[in-house]
Amino acid sequence: MRYAFFPGCTLESAAEELMISTMKVAEALGIELIELKGWTCCGASHIQDVDDFLATSINARNIALGEKLGVSKIITVCNTCTLMLRTAKAKLDQNKNLRAMVNEGLRSTGMQYKGNVEVTHLLWALIEDYGLDRLKEKVKRPLTGLKVANFYGCHILMPPKIMGFENHMNPQSMEMIAEVLGAESVKFDQRLACCGFHAVFPAEKEVMKLTGMNCLSPKASGADCLITPCPLCQMQLDAYQPDAQKGFSKDITMPVLHLPQLIGLALGFSPQELAIQRHVVDAIPVLTENVLV
Amino acid sequence: MFKYDVVVVGAGGAGMMAALYASKDPSLKVAVLSKIFPTRSHTGAAQGGINAAMGNRDNSDSAEKHFRDTVKGSDFLADQDAVEFFTTHMPELISELDYMGVPFSRDINGKVAQRPFGGASSPRTCYSADKTGHVILHALYEQCLKNHVRFHNDWYLLSLAVDNGHFEGLVAMDIRTGNVHAIQAKAVVIATGGYGRVYWSRTTNAINMTGDGTAACFDIGIPLKDPEFVQFHPTGLASTGVLLSEACRGEGGYLINKDGERFMARYAPDKMELGPRDLVSRSIETEIKEGRGFGDGMGSYVLMDLRHLGEEKIMERLPQVRELAMDFEGVDLVKEPVPIRPSCHYMMGGIHIVDHKTCATPIEGIHAAGECCAVSIHGANRLGGNSVADVVLFGKYAGQGAQQSAKKRSFTSTAKLELEKIKWTEKFDLIRKKKTGINMFEIRDKMAETMWYHVGIFRTEDEMKQAYLTIEDLLERFKDAYIGDSSESYNMAFINYVEISNLLKLAKAVTLGAINRKESRGSHSRGDYPTRDDENFLKHTLIYNEGEYYRLEYSPVTITKYQPEERKY
Amino acid sequence: MRTIHYKIKRFDGKREWYQDYQLQYEKGKTILWALTAIREQLDPTLVFTSACRHAICGSCAIKVNGKSFLACKTSLDEVLETFKSDNLVFEPLSNFEVIKDLAIAWEPKMEKMKQVKPWIIPSNKGNAERGFIQSEDDFHEISSPTDCILCGVCTSECNQLAVNDGAYLDPFILNRAYRFSVDSRDCAPEEHIRPVYENELWKCIHCMQCISSCPKGIPLTDEIAYLRQESIKIGEVNNQGAKHAFAFYDDIRNKGRLNETMLPIKTDGLIKTATTKIPFALRMIKKGKINPFHMPKAIEGIKGVKEIYKYAEEVKHP
Repeated sequence: MRYAFFPGCTLESAAEELMISTMKVAEALGIELIELKGWTCCGASHIQDVDDFLATSINARNIALGEKLGVSKIITVCNTCTLMLRTAKAKLDQNKNLRAMVNEGLRSTGMQYKGNVEVTHLLWALIEDYGLDRLKEKVKRPLTGLKVANFYGCHILMPPKIMGFENHMNPQSMEMIAEVLGAESVKFDQRLACCGFHAVFPAEKEVMKLTGMNCLSPKASGADCLITPCPLCQMQLDAYQPDAQKGFSKDITMPVLHLPQLIGLALGFSPQELAIQRHVVDAIPVLTENVLV
Repeated sequence: MFKYDVVVVGAGGAGMMAALYASKDPSLKVAVLSKIFPTRSHTGAAQGGINAAMGNRDNSDSAEKHFRDTVKGSDFLADQDAVEFFTTHMPELISELDYMGVPFSRDINGKVAQRPFGGASSPRTCYSADKTGHVILHALYEQCLKNHVRFHNDWYLLSLAVDNGHFEGLVAMDIRTGNVHAIQAKAVVIATGGYGRVYWSRTTNAINMTGDGTAACFDIGIPLKDPEFVQFHPTGLASTGVLLSEACRGEGGYLINKDGERFMARYAPDKMELGPRDLVSRSIETEIKEGRGFGDGMGSYVLMDLRHLGEEKIMERLPQVRELAMDFEGVDLVKEPVPIRPSCHYMMGGIHIVDHKTCATPIEGIHAAGECCAVSIHGANRLGGNSVADVVLFGKYAGQGAQQSAKKRSFTSTAKLELEKIKWTEKFDLIRKKKTGINMFEIRDKMAETMWYHVGIFRTEDEMKQAYLTIEDLLERFKDAYIGDSSESYNMAFINYVEISNLLKLAKAVTLGAINRKESRGSHSRGDYPTRDDENFLKHTLIYNEGEYYRLEYSPVTITKYQPEERKY
Repeated sequence: MRTIHYKIKRFDGKREWYQDYQLQYEKGKTILWALTAIREQLDPTLVFTSACRHAICGSCAIKVNGKSFLACKTSLDEVLETFKSDNLVFEPLSNFEVIKDLAIAWEPKMEKMKQVKPWIIPSNKGNAERGFIQSEDDFHEISSPTDCILCGVCTSECNQLAVNDGAYLDPFILNRAYRFSVDSRDCAPEEHIRPVYENELWKCIHCMQCISSCPKGIPLTDEIAYLRQESIKIGEVNNQGAKHAFAFYDDIRNKGRLNETMLPIKTDGLIKTATTKIPFALRMIKKGKINPFHMPKAIEGIKGVKEIYKYAEEVKHP
């Protein structure tokens, strides 16, 4: 299995641990990830607020880089990157005039958007390309006893017309993965909530409130940790947790892992190999208690 | 006590237009009462368009042609002075709506687009995609917000107070609190919409089209004009009555009975499903009546089968119809036929208007506009695209009329008004605290069934007389109705109770008008009198409510230009 | 016989409670059918609002198992399938004042909506006697936003409204402002856009709930992007939202990638960042999450990216 890999900016800086764990997991599963050469930032759901045509254009370029590799899919590990690339793709595929204009802009780069690769996310690829049975066979250390709270994040689900992998009102993919890994998925109110990351600057107060609620809810359901398929959700829920705590009298402490880290644990990697120690809220104690024994 | 110069009851197209015009005089205090939030009003459901001889698409079109088409469509029962007034003023009204922000579809010249419609000799129906009523309703609401029109939302009209022919005001319930209020007013505009819900589940009308204003006027002695004229549409969805577009038949859909037959072969062997609306409606009901339908009672239906068109054609030509059937009947018509049955669509009759220029009723100070009344421009049958037009145009003139009335009249006695308030306060108390009785929804359903089978698409003397007795019996039984909700605030059961009481009164009038009109004209189709009889019935029915006794009168039709002739299309 | 269990949130002005009802399952029905059947067969005291029953009046939206739906347009089978359960919980829409049971108040929302002047401010190219000339393309600009039926589903699903103090405008209000600001007959787009900007426009979190749940399919998030672009055009660039968006815009042009270290400074300025984000930065650095000295190098092909920017500029300002 080969994919063109679009890492996204966070994996180069604030979520390098996601890069590390993704690479480890891919290698162990026999998934080849070929990083796109010269990819740009997807615009992170902000750039269209300055120029929506440009948002489509730069992502047309990103997709065109993948098209050149002769693979059928570009893979991401970030919800927002997935959304931005898929949004551009949907617009380009539906609107011939727009596609012609965008390609006109790409001409000087010697590239062209053709529309012949798909954009997927690791979570989806594991289910529809790799297969849960195959994943199960690879599990060396079942995560028995670990109670995980699956936090999907908005951009892997919505808008359904663009994302559409599963019913956005009641998705099950994360639970399916957790089950294969041997972990127990807990039900919690904020399972499909928004992390608030994209407005953390202009709406700090509101977003910190969301963060607190997003930590308290899995806590109330007895979860050991939150799992998310998105590094931005992870950053918001983990790195801002101490700031969010200030608005709450109850202890909101809740470790937050990247999905590939959870998979990596089941594949037998140590927390250090997956760079779990880099999280602000220390996840290693709950893992030691439940999984690593 | 509340006190306004002008009160408008109803916040649909007619009501809001009236309010905007009445409040153009800043010295007048104007308020709108609506039992629902304004943009929920039924004007919003009008899809197709609004007729005006703009001549944008066909420059040979004229107000004169629109006039002639409307009179012909009315089967010559419309008042021609009113129709001429209507068609003459419609083009300028479209411009006015355009200026108010209504998003009309446009032609290549940037003018308001127009399309052909049934019964029109020229393409003169202005539209906004398939949501014409919706966008007009919202634009009017926006204008009301801009002009600070005062709304009392969730206020329900209970009655009008008239003493010796002198209008004092009205009594209404603030539904949210359950308080009954007397509102003194110099003038009122009734704009409460139609009463298609006399057929309850077999209507395309919204759930609250219960003729509240029409019944309130009827109660104080204003006659009901031409109530027997009811327009039916052949293809409503079976379970809800929601309209399924004519395009289904146009694209070649089959109508199938229980035995799998394309039964239209029996009634229109040449045209089959493409026969005229009334014929198709009657054919469907005949099949059901003779036991070849599916289901039973009010739940009976036949099938509209489009599967032979294939998925591709359905998706290309009828995507909205498919979505509609999927959403509201739970049927994917690519895979299954959809259950359909005719539905009551529009009431031509209503509150008697005596002056179309002011929309005045016989009682000074009381005006009305829209489907609740009969101006009459629709006569025995309304043309498609003329209803929203009627609503906004006469809403405007009713607003102006009310303004004039308010300036002419002064606040005087409130004796009758206060009595009415006490009467309703006591009634509310009594009804909500009642512990047993007959379930009001059963009475409602029985009324609808009676009206549907005997005063619906088929009408014959014997059956209608039987229906009349049944309705009278239901009115009697309704005195013991039990509503099942004792709460004071937001008692929707009580509102439903008054609504059903209004429907029963109006159903009786529809029946009486229909029994006595011994001819077939427009939408009124009698098995025992199959032809039009101008000698005896080129006249308006007027029904007066005198206690429990209804008195019938007739009044002449105003004919200015077009002498009755045989209607051929 | 399959039974569907309904739990409905009741409210009588003072007291709140959940009440259980049961109905036999029937195929091909809607949520509105269930509400009506419960009211007419089981409990006439239940209050909800509905009118047209075909998705044009906007009266009947409620929450089912936590998600907002237009009751008349939502198939019961679909909901049962979505939630994989025969137990349904009906509640009034969120982010509205509840009057009774499932009925909500719209008046406060309309007062709020008035801020964006939700009416046409007609240009002098038209008049009440002759109307306007408007091209078909210009009509298409306002066709989709005028589909709004004020059902409130977007408001109920809005993540910002859920935690906001009240100034933030509901998505349907943003839609109204958009609708008039793009109407070629309107002469004062800024009068609709400025109040939007002033009422926390940049607090939208991009969660995509509004666009995903709108029963009329109105592209609300695209409209929000447009409103933000226009707020920038009228000069409102000196705020966290715009500066944050420009940080991405500029970084991509300069290097192709985001400089995360500089992002807070670009958004908040050096002083605010120094005073508020220091603890955050320190904990990130301490854990090795960020390397403050990491400065992204220009990507391969950055020249081409700059060309694309140039082209986009030309498209925007031909």
